[in-house]
Amino acid sequence: MSTALIDPTLNNTPLPAVPAATPLGARFAAAWAAAGTRCALPVVVLLAAGFLAPLVAIFAYSFAPPRSFEVFRAFTFANYAELFSLENTVWLSFAWSIGFALLTCAVLAVVAYPIAYGMVFLFGRWSSLVSVLFVFPLFVSENVRLYGWVLFFIKNGVLDGSLKWLGLGGAPTVLYTPGVILAGMVYTYLPFMLFPLTLGLSMVPRDLIDAARDLGANRFQIWREVEVPLAMPGILIGMLLTFVLAIGAVSEAKILGGQSVIVISHDIEIAFTYAQNWPLGSALAVLVTAFIGALTLAVFAKLDLDRLLGRR
Amino acid sequence: MTINRRSVLKGMAAGGLALAGGPFANVRSAFAARDKELNILCWEGYNSAQVLDPFRKSTGATVKAESLTNDPTMINRLRAGETNVWDLINVNNPWARKIMYPEKLIKPLPRETFEPYFDKMLPQFKAPYKWAMDDSGKELLGMCQRFGPYSFVVNTDKISRKTAEEVGWDLFNDPKLAGRYGILESDDWNVFGLFVVAGIDPFKTHTPDEMAKFEETAKRVFKGAKLIGDIAAMNQALISGEIDLHLTGGTYSVSPARADGYPQMRGITPLKGPMAGGKGGIAWIEVTSLVNNPQLSPLAETFLKYVQQPEVAHTVAFAEGTYNPVAQMGNPACFKLFSKTELEAIQWDSLDEEMARSVAYDIVPDYDQALDLMTAAKRVRG
Repeated sequence: MSTALIDPTLNNTPLPAVPAATPLGARFAAAWAAAGTRCALPVVVLLAAGFLAPLVAIFAYSFAPPRSFEVFRAFTFANYAELFSLENTVWLSFAWSIGFALLTCAVLAVVAYPIAYGMVFLFGRWSSLVSVLFVFPLFVSENVRLYGWVLFFIKNGVLDGSLKWLGLGGAPTVLYTPGVILAGMVYTYLPFMLFPLTLGLSMVPRDLIDAARDLGANRFQIWREVEVPLAMPGILIGMLLTFVLAIGAVSEAKILGGQSVIVISHDIEIAFTYAQNWPLGSALAVLVTAFIGALTLAVFAKLDLDRLLGRR
Repeated sequence: MTINRRSVLKGMAAGGLALAGGPFANVRSAFAARDKELNILCWEGYNSAQVLDPFRKSTGATVKAESLTNDPTMINRLRAGETNVWDLINVNNPWARKIMYPEKLIKPLPRETFEPYFDKMLPQFKAPYKWAMDDSGKELLGMCQRFGPYSFVVNTDKISRKTAEEVGWDLFNDPKLAGRYGILESDDWNVFGLFVVAGIDPFKTHTPDEMAKFEETAKRVFKGAKLIGDIAAMNQALISGEIDLHLTGGTYSVSPARADGYPQMRGITPLKGPMAGGKGGIAWIEVTSLVNNPQLSPLAETFLKYVQQPEVAHTVAFAEGTYNPVAQMGNPACFKLFSKTELEAIQWDSLDEEMARSVAYDIVPDYDQALDLMTAAKRVRG
């Protein structure tokens, strides 16, 4: 690195003194005295009550005896043993949820990439209008939108009725199948993949693409060697966001899929409602949270966001 | 008062306790007279503006009502300590006398005040009405209003009422009907229904053989279902022709479709079945009770009297969501408020015979085991 890039004034700046080790109590008192800490207190209390407390409650409930409300009073691994027992078929719900989430990510990456590319490089001033069009459905409740799709696909509904009216026979049966659940998830989570992807692609300098082209790279090489690596933070964030949301999705399987499959969130819901087995539902929720948490940490361990975002 | 750090912290601590509810709810109630406050835990309908707004206006009270769609959840809310929160609980018939009163979650009503209302109800509710009383027959535990038969629903354009009533639950054993029926997402009732489809009385303790038969039936019936969904999904699928019938349903679920101009959709009560006395149907009766709240609102009893009024009873019958017969239709002043269309929507023409062919909803002793088997059966249908 050239020394010319270093601010010369820095050379005259005395190095900050290394603070002497202070006792913990004194450090705590100093932190408490800081206005920032005290101003942050309401937020800390709010987070502790609104975010941490429910998580602690769920975690504690997962160790309560099955079908009891003896939280913090009894301790057992029975709920986890039940979930991991060989006869239990809850793994099927896990498998469906993970499968749907992976497929949703894969399909969305393919579907959203060209749209994001268009928004960054091609649409020009129209790109903000396209953004609004993709954001607009988010203003309408997800359930309402999914019921709209049911009316579209249902027998004698918009599609089937129109085709019959045109004398083209009826529409194929798509409702109440796993395929339509996947389609519903792709539809619902498109914005969550599209916008991180757009952000990622907007970080690709135009000059680099031009330079690669000048140096003889073909379109595929430019995509593979320049665009994708530089847009990777956006792609990964979009995929992670979509995966985390999709693994907890339940409305698509219920409304469009007619419960043709039971996803993991639905299993948790059943445990907390009809089964009134809060400890089992909590254990299931803890496992799902742990799985998603581990996955997120694994991705972020491989992904240095600061470096990728060019901050260092 | 000078505001300093100590006073702010004290205020925050008090606020935290009030927010925490549960074990600390007494802290709040000690400071609050509850004569202008009423909290109701109920099935949908009682929480509607049509029912609550006139009461709010006449009493000037703050009335909060939370609606849930299954009994066990509501009862466990009380068990979890919310007896401090609620004043009235509205659930189906067995829970008051069999669970909530023995567990001291509810308290009795003054008989001399409330029993006369039963005399104005339909004949089967005449005092002392079993489901409103405790086991000893001495205490009045709640008031009755909405009720109805609840077995299954058919599109009578596809399967005639006569066939449906005669074949009964065996319709769901017919392989030819696989893919042509739905299942209402009402898991507790589906446990009853699947037992009956298997030819077993649900309301008793079951042998391992009976449980094995239940499991086999659950797997087969869920596998053959076109969809599982809520009331709106079932009615939509019936009207569009996606399905011809659905398991678990009756006046409560199909009345909105009938009121919307689809009288061919009909709740069916089979002529015979495996229940006590060879009865083929199951019916529900709501009982609304006073919660054993240490600071019970005096408005709780006022509200119970309010909903007995003919006009209000009619409003409750046709409150948003679902439409149902009410026990107060035994009072001519209430009955005359129902139009012909409304009576058709609630299948008034066959109500008496359907109720006579039904046993009352009861608690399944081994419900937990059956529900687990049923949930597993749902999982393998995909």
